Amino acid sequence: MSRLTRFSISVRNNLTGLALLLVAWLVLSLFFPGYILPSPGQVLRASPAVLDVAFVPHLWLTLQRMLIGFLLAFGAGSALGILAFILHLTEHLNSFMVALQVIPGAILGIILLLVLGVGDWTPIALVALLTLPTVAINIANALAKRDLSLEQYLLSAGAGRRRLVRHLYLPALIPTIQSNLSLGFGLGMKVVVLGEFIGSQDGLGYLLNVAAIRFDMQSVMAYLCVVLIISAVFEIGQSLVFSLFLTKYFYPP
Amino acid sequence: MMPDDMLTVEHLTKRFRAAETPLGGHSSMPEPPVIEDLSFTIPRGGRVTLFAPTGAGKTTLIDILTGLDRTYEGSFRLTARNPATIFQEPRLFPHMTVEENVILPAQIRRIPLTPAMCEKYERWLEVCGLTAYTRYFPYQLSGGMKQKVALMRGFVTDPDFVMMDEPFKSLDLHSKQAIIRHILEVHPNISLLFVTHALEEVPLLTQSVLLFKTNRLANYTTHDASRLDTILMEAIHG
Repeated sequence: MSRLTRFSISVRNNLTGLALLLVAWLVLSLFFPGYILPSPGQVLRASPAVLDVAFVPHLWLTLQRMLIGFLLAFGAGSALGILAFILHLTEHLNSFMVALQVIPGAILGIILLLVLGVGDWTPIALVALLTLPTVAINIANALAKRDLSLEQYLLSAGAGRRRLVRHLYLPALIPTIQSNLSLGFGLGMKVVVLGEFIGSQDGLGYLLNVAAIRFDMQSVMAYLCVVLIISAVFEIGQSLVFSLFLTKYFYPP
Repeated sequence: MMPDDMLTVEHLTKRFRAAETPLGGHSSMPEPPVIEDLSFTIPRGGRVTLFAPTGAGKTTLIDILTGLDRTYEGSFRLTARNPATIFQEPRLFPHMTVEENVILPAQIRRIPLTPAMCEKYERWLEVCGLTAYTRYFPYQLSGGMKQKVALMRGFVTDPDFVMMDEPFKSLDLHSKQAIIRHILEVHPNISLLFVTHALEEVPLLTQSVLLFKTNRLANYTTHDASRLDTILMEAIHG
């Protein structure tokens, strides 16, 4: 499969997913009044007023918080996964991370709000803590499930640690890194909104909270559409990078 | 050990640890050794076949000699400057092309890619019928083609000792003969430890045969590889 084909399939899948959501929303909106579930058309007409100039700083703050939390989770989670693999502690890491994952986001959010207060750090910490287990578990498991016969070949050929990392461990990690980026970004987006919902005076989550309190469902749906579009754009972007530069690590490419 | 010996194996014994029982304990049955008090020598330039039934521990022996398995009794001494191993399965790197796979051992050992080596590589491609496939990835090749790539990878760095664990298993007779002829033509003085249970391959490639009749590597008889009929009779009737 060529790089372009791989990329276009990814774009098509993303757009298909969005289109299916849109259709489901449209169909459901036929069964509910507009003040409970407005139709896509109603939301589109209301969008210029909802997503006005005042909305942009909120969106920018949300993106910054999400990216900082996500990068923290990605870095720390990858380091933890690698460390667990090196120290033969993958199973222990899995148990610990699963336990961390079980804590409901809302409860963790309230704890973080009490500890960190209202502001940037509650949503950032929430994103980092809720995304980290997925990243760490995936990295540790990808390394544990590397191709042992290839490792044996490299060792028999006299390869040192550097060669093992370059020819075996990194290639084994690349598909996992992509799925971590994909899953982590989606999860991070969801969690940052929750974090802002609980403990912020600004950001998309805060706007959603205000709109929800007022039962302003047109604004709620408009904000959700923005979240969906941002996630889709990121997904297409990361797919472009992996398709262009790293296709050979997805075999068959 | 004689100074011109390539490989000397002395009183090598290998036991696998007893399998754990479903309740977590260990089986009370003592595990019989898969290799028992094995000693043999391959002189420099010697080509030896190790012919034994399936499950006799041939691959285990290769694992020990390549340093992959370090839990054994006895000892061995390998004096090769540039040894290579060709495994039963091709073990090609799926993200590398044929060419990248073949030159990998040279990169690992920091052997410069000289024009002579490139010429050798080209010749190997011709012999294996893979000239048009150098940019292909392993998933685009058949099982036999992958095995040919593994064979090329084993020989292209000009090794002085090669351990081959049933390397021709997925090759047709014509390819097998062409490759063996090429090995002997390009590497007339190479030392080989050739592991197989396909008798017809023995006289094509090696000079002597260590014949094991039981399903473990213990007692053996030594034969001249060219006397296929004798080996066959011995293998059948003991």
